[in-house]
Amino acid sequence: MKKTKNFLIFGLVLCVAVIFGATSTVMAGDTIRIGVASPFTGDLASYGDNIKAGVNLKLAEINGAGGINGKKIELVWGDDLCAPKDAGTVGAKFAADKSIVAVIGHLCSSATLAAMPIYVRAGMPVISPTSTNPTIGDVGKGWFFRNCYTDDFQGKYLAKEVVPNLLKKKKVAIFYENNDYAIGLKDSFMAGAKESGIEVTGAEAYVAKTTDFTPQLTKLLTAKPEAIFLCGYHPEGALIAGQARKLGFNGPLFGADGIDNVDYIKIGGEATENTYCTVPFLAEASGPAGQAFAKNFKAATGRDVDWMSANAYDCLGILADVIAKTGADRKKIRDGLAAINSEANGYKGVTGMTYFNSKGDCAKPAFVKMVKDGKFVSAR
Amino acid sequence: MGRLRIQQLSRGGKIRIGLLILVLILPLFPFISDYALHIAILIFMYMILALGLNIVPGFNGLLDLGYVGFYGIGAYTSGLLTIHFGLSYWLIIPIAFLNGALWGVLLGAPTLRLTGDYFAIVTFGFSELVVLFLTNEIWLTRGPLGLPGIAPPSIDLSWLGGPKWEFAGEVPYYYLAILMVLVTVFVMYRIQDSRLGRAWFAIRDDEIAAVSCGINLLHYKVIAFAISAAFGAVAGSFFARWVTFLSPDMFKFWESFLVLCMIVLGGMGNIWGVMVGAVVLVSLSEILREILPLLGLPVEVRFLVFGLIMVIMMRFRPAGLMPIPAVAAKMKAGQVKRKPAVATAGSKK
Amino acid sequence: MFLQQLVNGLIIGGIYAMIAVGYTMIYGVIQLINFAHGEIYMLGAFFAVTFISFLGLPFFAAFLLSMICCAICGMFLDVLAYRPLRESPRLAALITAIGMSIFLQNLAMIIWGSRQKPFPHGSVPAYFGQIAVTFGGVNLSWFHIFIFSFTLVMMLGLHLTIKKTRWGKAMRAVAQNQTMAALVGINVNRVITYTFALAGALGGAAGILVGAYYNSLYPTMGYVAGVKAFAAAVLGGIGSVPGAMVGGVILGVAEALGAGYLSSLYRDGISYAVMIIVIILIPAGLFGKLIKETKKSM
Repeated sequence: MKKTKNFLIFGLVLCVAVIFGATSTVMAGDTIRIGVASPFTGDLASYGDNIKAGVNLKLAEINGAGGINGKKIELVWGDDLCAPKDAGTVGAKFAADKSIVAVIGHLCSSATLAAMPIYVRAGMPVISPTSTNPTIGDVGKGWFFRNCYTDDFQGKYLAKEVVPNLLKKKKVAIFYENNDYAIGLKDSFMAGAKESGIEVTGAEAYVAKTTDFTPQLTKLLTAKPEAIFLCGYHPEGALIAGQARKLGFNGPLFGADGIDNVDYIKIGGEATENTYCTVPFLAEASGPAGQAFAKNFKAATGRDVDWMSANAYDCLGILADVIAKTGADRKKIRDGLAAINSEANGYKGVTGMTYFNSKGDCAKPAFVKMVKDGKFVSAR
Repeated sequence: MGRLRIQQLSRGGKIRIGLLILVLILPLFPFISDYALHIAILIFMYMILALGLNIVPGFNGLLDLGYVGFYGIGAYTSGLLTIHFGLSYWLIIPIAFLNGALWGVLLGAPTLRLTGDYFAIVTFGFSELVVLFLTNEIWLTRGPLGLPGIAPPSIDLSWLGGPKWEFAGEVPYYYLAILMVLVTVFVMYRIQDSRLGRAWFAIRDDEIAAVSCGINLLHYKVIAFAISAAFGAVAGSFFARWVTFLSPDMFKFWESFLVLCMIVLGGMGNIWGVMVGAVVLVSLSEILREILPLLGLPVEVRFLVFGLIMVIMMRFRPAGLMPIPAVAAKMKAGQVKRKPAVATAGSKK
Repeated sequence: MFLQQLVNGLIIGGIYAMIAVGYTMIYGVIQLINFAHGEIYMLGAFFAVTFISFLGLPFFAAFLLSMICCAICGMFLDVLAYRPLRESPRLAALITAIGMSIFLQNLAMIIWGSRQKPFPHGSVPAYFGQIAVTFGGVNLSWFHIFIFSFTLVMMLGLHLTIKKTRWGKAMRAVAQNQTMAALVGINVNRVITYTFALAGALGGAAGILVGAYYNSLYPTMGYVAGVKAFAAAVLGGIGSVPGAMVGGVILGVAEALGAGYLSSLYRDGISYAVMIIVIILIPAGLFGKLIKETKKSM
């Protein structure tokens, strides 16, 4: 009994010592350290993998060319599992490590929202490649920037551009996932639809990881929509496509960047034909820099480039550019990023011209893809 | 009380006081980073949660699978009151406490007359309903969009002509968390040694014997459940003001499981053991986060380990690493449990 | 629309019923809520896909083999995790059950990855997708017919097994009183383990059907399905096999109609709410006898 107790206390002290010890080893050196926070394991690990691939490609290019003013960049990975609680922990870790001068991330909007107060307190500039939730800009208090459009923009673009001009449809049913991304998207789509005169015949919600969507779909289809808006991510989107076809729906489906994944076609099969989605990056439609990036990406990873990787690639590019001008200091980097405030002094990357407004949001072009003969192709 | 017991207690007491002093001066060390403090605060928060949950399985022998529901209720109570009414944190603590207790009574009163299994599953269903409510009632909770921008607590002495401090950085939270843990531990010890506590132990050790001694089972079980729920809500209220962001995802079943794992590991019914359980599991979780990728293992191994801990503990040390005699006798002896359990209960008095 | 929703509900209800029967049988014999049962259901789907893609087995062979594997898993679960705790209080067994559930779920994640997987292309017989009958504007595919008839046959078979065979009688004897059953020469532990095997096979079959019908499987699929099936078992009266069947179908239909006519956001909540209301108002369920707190309870 006593022995166990002593043993326990010893173990306890050891546990605590390891944690405290792990952080006290601040590595100094001739490198510029940048934190990258994304879910690298768990449910959404595949997204984190995209970020990793994009950032690594840029890292190899910068360091291959001799680094920034002779200093190499070093990346520190932080696995946040896309969970707000873990994001807070990763944020605290990055903020506490004085050698880290900026953070790329987080991937999920909810993770960014949870970690942002910590970054603001510590004065850490953050640039996210993927967090599209419009409210982050308010919480960021000037320390948050993003190299992606917000959900507001995507939804409006779908409602005003894609549906009336590309699909040429008037009646649309919305099937949205009950999460921050999809609700934001749905709301902005509805606002846009009102302006462009599209009739929304019904809006139903589903919960992530559901497999049976037939009750909601049955209800949506009774209103005879001409197109269905898959407002969510690709795993559920693929199943919805299959079940909608089984229930006899033959019209076009469309969605936003959440649908853009090869797994969408792999899971959904033939049912996914005639699906449209908006994406921030499309190799076919981008300039020579984008084409070259897509080629390098394929050579480095063996898979087709996706928009997350492209955004992450540009995020590191922007940071490197700013650091080269201002030096590796958190406050100066923030000021440098904030100074990119108009098209004239914007950063030209593979995803187009990037410049930030006062909330750190940026205007990005959107492209449209469609599924044709089991492949994603440009819709134009 | 035997002499040996006093000696043990004083020895344990010394260690405890030593640890407390160490913990109190920890932030003063220069090598302690904000990250370490962040983890320490997380540990303290889980200590409150584990101490609160401990009342139901540890003191009463009932399985509660929906503890996270009350934690969530407390967190959202705190978050919403702060955002909409700007209430002071010191006012929110008692409100969260009462709100948690209220839901504990509402859920406990009709269900605690049932057998333990039914109770376990009702609590589970309840916590899932809480998450659904938090997710779907967007007008109130902003649902999956989350609740950002909750103001941190502050100490306002301006009515005395004093200054007003707003919490910034991890250090004030650290001391606040310690204070809350100390109060919780104090309350737990007081309850344990009170009439209420003895009634609970009687129920845990032998319900039939307890009834025949004139203990109203339902009455005492509901009180236990309400107090447990209230502490869960208090931990939630702290969490909301500390993280300053809430989303319904934070209150999934996994959290209930984690807290349960802490008390099973530490020793059900043992206040000190439960706290050790919190320290071990939170640190283990952080250490595994660092180590697993280095070993090339997926992070799921972390959860696998937690699952295994539960199974192995139940098989070999069902009363935890720091067992208390009554629970140990009960969990091990099975059918012939009654005699030793009664004996220890008697020797305690 | 009502007819279509009814069909949707019947399909999912039949599947809930198959899982619920497993919960109810196990609860009947050892008064344990086997939380890991949902994970057996998930394993069933993954085994089938593994057999199809790695051994190249045809659908029905993989189906059968996977059911057998699930039965074996069920037996292992009992022998390794629950049997050592037979004499322990119920709290210990319940915690073990939850621990096993988490363990198996994450083991599956490590083995097969956490991403959603489809059934291998073309593995499900092509005629399953074709329409068999149309009535009142509702199309019924051969797969629907297969699921309906398979559930029905399984349930009928199970009912007959429990009522008519020697083994079924032994099982009922163990459910009534283990000590007495042992005294009349029944090997109690073996009966319990076989019950786990039977429950596992049925749960696994349900998993394969769901995986193939919706063309999607992932390691956490057992969690929600397990809870809902448990709610169905409670509704029917836990410990009662016909109750579990009826409970499953009622819950499935209630869910489909609720999602269709009330609110799709609270679709999962319907099961939880039904469960809580039934437990509070009629804890015996529709068909069950109220099980009194036994000596073993804690």
